[in-house]
Amino acid sequence: MSLPLPVAGRARAWRYARDLIHRYPGLFRIAVCLHLLAALTGLAGPRLLGDLIQVIQLGRPEGDLDRLAAALAGCVVLQAALTRFAYLASARLGERVLAELREEFVERVFTLPLSTVEAAGTGDLLTRTTRDVDALSRCVRFAVPETLIALLTAALVVIALVALDPALAVPLLVGVPLATASTRWYLRRAPEGYLRQSAAWAVVTDGLTETVEGARTVEALGRQSQRVERTDRDLDESWDAESYTLNLRTAWWPVVEVSYVVPMVLTLLAGGWLYLHGRVTLGETTAALIYVQQLINPLDRLLSWLDELQVGAASLARLVGVSAGPEPRREPPENPEDTRIEVRGVHFGYRPDREVLHGVDLVLEKGERLAIVGPSGAGKSTLGRLLAGIHQPTAGSVTVGGVPLGDLAPDRLRAHVALVSQEHHVFIGTLRDNVAMARPEAPDAEVRKALAAVYAADWVETLPEGLDTAVGTGGLTLSAAQAQQVALARLVLAGPHTLVLDEATALLDPRTARDLERSLAGVVNGRTVVAIAHRLFSAHDADRVAVVEDGRITELGSHEDLLAANGTYTALWRSWTGN
Amino acid sequence: MQRLPAADPTPPTSRTPTRYLGWLVRRAHLTIVAAVLLAVVWMGFQSLVPSVIGRAVDAAAARDPAHLFGWAAVLLAVGVLEAMVGITRHRFATMNWLGASFRTVRVAVRQAGRLGSALPRRLDAGEVVAIGTSDIGHIGAAIDITTRGTGALIAVTVVTVLLIRTSVPLGLVVLIGVPVLLAVVSGLIRPLHRRQQEYRVQQGRLTGQAADLVAGLRVLRGVGGEAVMAEHYRAESQELRWAGVRTASIESLLEAAQVLLPGVFLVLVTWIGARLALRHEISIGELVSFYAYAAFLVTPVRQLTEAIDKLTRGHVSARRVVDMLGVPDDLPDPPVPQPAPRGDLADPETGVVVTPGRITAIVATEPAEAALVAERLGRYAEGATLGGVPLCELALPAIRERILVAGNEDRLFSGTLRRDLDPDDRGTLGAALTAAAADEIVAGLPDGTESTVAERGRSFSGGQQQRLRLARALVADPEILVLVEPTNAVDAHTEARIAESLRSARAGRTTVICTTSPLVLDRADRVLFLAEGRVAATGTHRELLESVPGYARVVVRGDRP
Repeated sequence: MSLPLPVAGRARAWRYARDLIHRYPGLFRIAVCLHLLAALTGLAGPRLLGDLIQVIQLGRPEGDLDRLAAALAGCVVLQAALTRFAYLASARLGERVLAELREEFVERVFTLPLSTVEAAGTGDLLTRTTRDVDALSRCVRFAVPETLIALLTAALVVIALVALDPALAVPLLVGVPLATASTRWYLRRAPEGYLRQSAAWAVVTDGLTETVEGARTVEALGRQSQRVERTDRDLDESWDAESYTLNLRTAWWPVVEVSYVVPMVLTLLAGGWLYLHGRVTLGETTAALIYVQQLINPLDRLLSWLDELQVGAASLARLVGVSAGPEPRREPPENPEDTRIEVRGVHFGYRPDREVLHGVDLVLEKGERLAIVGPSGAGKSTLGRLLAGIHQPTAGSVTVGGVPLGDLAPDRLRAHVALVSQEHHVFIGTLRDNVAMARPEAPDAEVRKALAAVYAADWVETLPEGLDTAVGTGGLTLSAAQAQQVALARLVLAGPHTLVLDEATALLDPRTARDLERSLAGVVNGRTVVAIAHRLFSAHDADRVAVVEDGRITELGSHEDLLAANGTYTALWRSWTGN
Repeated sequence: MQRLPAADPTPPTSRTPTRYLGWLVRRAHLTIVAAVLLAVVWMGFQSLVPSVIGRAVDAAAARDPAHLFGWAAVLLAVGVLEAMVGITRHRFATMNWLGASFRTVRVAVRQAGRLGSALPRRLDAGEVVAIGTSDIGHIGAAIDITTRGTGALIAVTVVTVLLIRTSVPLGLVVLIGVPVLLAVVSGLIRPLHRRQQEYRVQQGRLTGQAADLVAGLRVLRGVGGEAVMAEHYRAESQELRWAGVRTASIESLLEAAQVLLPGVFLVLVTWIGARLALRHEISIGELVSFYAYAAFLVTPVRQLTEAIDKLTRGHVSARRVVDMLGVPDDLPDPPVPQPAPRGDLADPETGVVVTPGRITAIVATEPAEAALVAERLGRYAEGATLGGVPLCELALPAIRERILVAGNEDRLFSGTLRRDLDPDDRGTLGAALTAAAADEIVAGLPDGTESTVAERGRSFSGGQQQRLRLARALVADPEILVLVEPTNAVDAHTEARIAESLRSARAGRTTVICTTSPLVLDRADRVLFLAEGRVAATGTHRELLESVPGYARVVVRGDRP
């Protein structure tokens, strides 16, 4: 039933990243310029040391020496100042781009059609919103600027070297093939290895968390030794994954380090030879040596961030991919004529090879209360979802006032029909936010009225901060019943003419369920209600009862009619009431 | 790579974080000593490079090609050796890191198993979770940095001695300069940590909010409110942006300091060295090596600051582990446990008496009260008796083996379903799944009982989790099974099926069910009705329904039966 969300292609992700930076051309240029200047001042050191050596070799006065030392000190101070502002500028740009990236992503998530969210499951989306956003954040905050700086610095050092004497730069070329070949080999294997490593590590930490949080269950079922064995197995896997990446590094690092040393040795020989032949001074040879040594640091940084950049690029592709989802629904030109919902010859399956509903016909009368009963897995909930417009039938039609539900945009659909599922959710925010989500402009009085309509006024009054009380994760924990009441109050404010209630009172103890039924009564007042009933009492109160068995409506009529018919419903009712 | 270290036969008895870290070091002393030695050699090679370059420059200055060539060969040898020693050191360091982390995981899992139900009662949930999420990493890093830190310390010492032997003022510059560098950098590190911590907290908030939005996305898309929620997210996201900029302002200062301080140090050393060279007190080659030494010192000094930082964090993390190790068991075993008697399980406080071999249902006017009785019957709280002997006088493991309390707060463990439900392969899983009406759930899974359960069983609905938990309890097949609201999340059909099959699944065994479902109560041999904390009536469901009006009010909804 799971249909993964799309991932953007490399070109699209790249274009998106470029466009983001292009929104702030000024900031971007300032950051690059500052980094360039900082790297430039960093090059002065070896050059001035070379000059110092010339002063000493030629036995010039001490004053020259002091002036050079002062220049050296000046360069250091200037480089430090430039470094500070360069880092700050790129951080400002990075944080800004990052914020925009995640905010735009969340906005795109909000435009996903419900059926897409249902089909993909929230797991994938959750990973993208949390892990991918974090991974990208690490990449933008550290990997991108560090790589940029390393590239700039390395380029400048090479230029400085060439400026000294092009012949002194030749030895560098020897190191290049060695470093590139080994790095390519490494990067072909590294991302997968590190992904496996972090996945294995996550299994270890999850396993530990699970043992600790479920300590009571572990004790009750005597699972201590099983947990220990499982931990050992997870640790084994983690150890294997770590060994793999360690072996990759063992092969790669020494080659890279040797590729740094060889050019240095060759520069020493070349510089010495050129000096002996009078082509360069001793100072220039020394400066060249130090430049080659200075190249090691940026190159090392560059190489160490490469895999992080790969991970970041993959995350970006997953984030950008979310907007590449299916096209939004097309808008019908006409408005629904009335509020009557009709189901005609509906077939439906989550997968093509497994049909859940095999031809359902049903017309909801305005203001009626219809209960759907039947065994688990018969298709009750599926029918409810089709009635609420979450899924579209594979054959047949579900229409409101003659317009197919699937043609209505979510915000228009909501004005007609809403699904109240067992899956209630209290969002992080204030109680007011949670109730007035759909109509943020609603005044407090109306919010209170909605809460009162579901009989939640009592406990809301006792809250210290009333409607401003923070609820949801990290805030005040609402009981399951209170959460349901909040969900219902939300509906009262939103005000659709038809409600589909799915298992709305399951998972609650009977006393709470009874309170909630009272709350529900406040909501359903004057609306058409379809109740997917797991407890039969709600069927008794309904105007009509539909018995769904094996993807079809097998019985339809009032409670009394069905009891008289002596069919499935009768049997159910008898076993439930014990008569 | 070397094998994964074996589990430790005895748990550590450390009372302080430092002692715990010490225990970890002792457990792995061979690889740790090896890593320290390798770090010293590695740093040694690194510190040789400047003096080799200096000698080579001197050879060039003296127009001595043979020596120049010779020193170039030495440079190559030193570089290659450094690479080899460096990677070997890294391998040992990784082992030390992993060894310390893995040991801590094992210690924590074993301790959680020992503490069991005492753990949630005695420790703050957040503290406990932190052990899994961050502490094991910090502890590994602390052990690892001790080896590199030692190497760095030795390298700084060696360079100082080398410089002092050539020139006393230069040596003094290093001797005074390095501590000053350390002090300034670690002075900046503290505020940086604070801001980084603020950033992480804010990042956690934002991630939490994003996860919250995704978790509620179906609800949100169902009733609307995207605009409000997007605005909330944007506000938090902008908070994080500015927290990031604030962190960066300290980070950029630190970066600048790491340019400025070693730079000033470098200028000072070079300047003094150059004056010495001008007066021919040292050679030009020696001057070049001084310059290179001063530049080289940056690395060990950075490692020393890193060591201070990581040891502090490791210490904080070790404290949490030690705290967990120190949690006492609040349901202690009696010094001389009585032999486990036969007879009735009873709760004198409420007057509940459980008949062996039958299904007893407990109905309370307040459902929480029935759950409390269950806690006592399983000795998660004191008060119940077995065959007249208080449970607290029996050995706890014996009680756990005979009495199983299964409630809705129990959790499913991740891994394959079979491994969670039937770890010992008792061969009764199929029957238990059918009895718990969970067979259809398994039939709908891609790989049946070999399918993977997501963390916290999240991939199952509340009702499905409940049925799977019930199946697990039935597989365990304890002598006495206490079920707390086992069917309140399933529909009437399924409930009826479970109630029916429980009778045969538990035939001949003792079963207690705390419930208010008429379908389940109808199938119980005896129903105890608790009102105001005492058993007010006893009988079958139908008897009580007819004779006790209060009972009917609790178990049948609405005004009619």
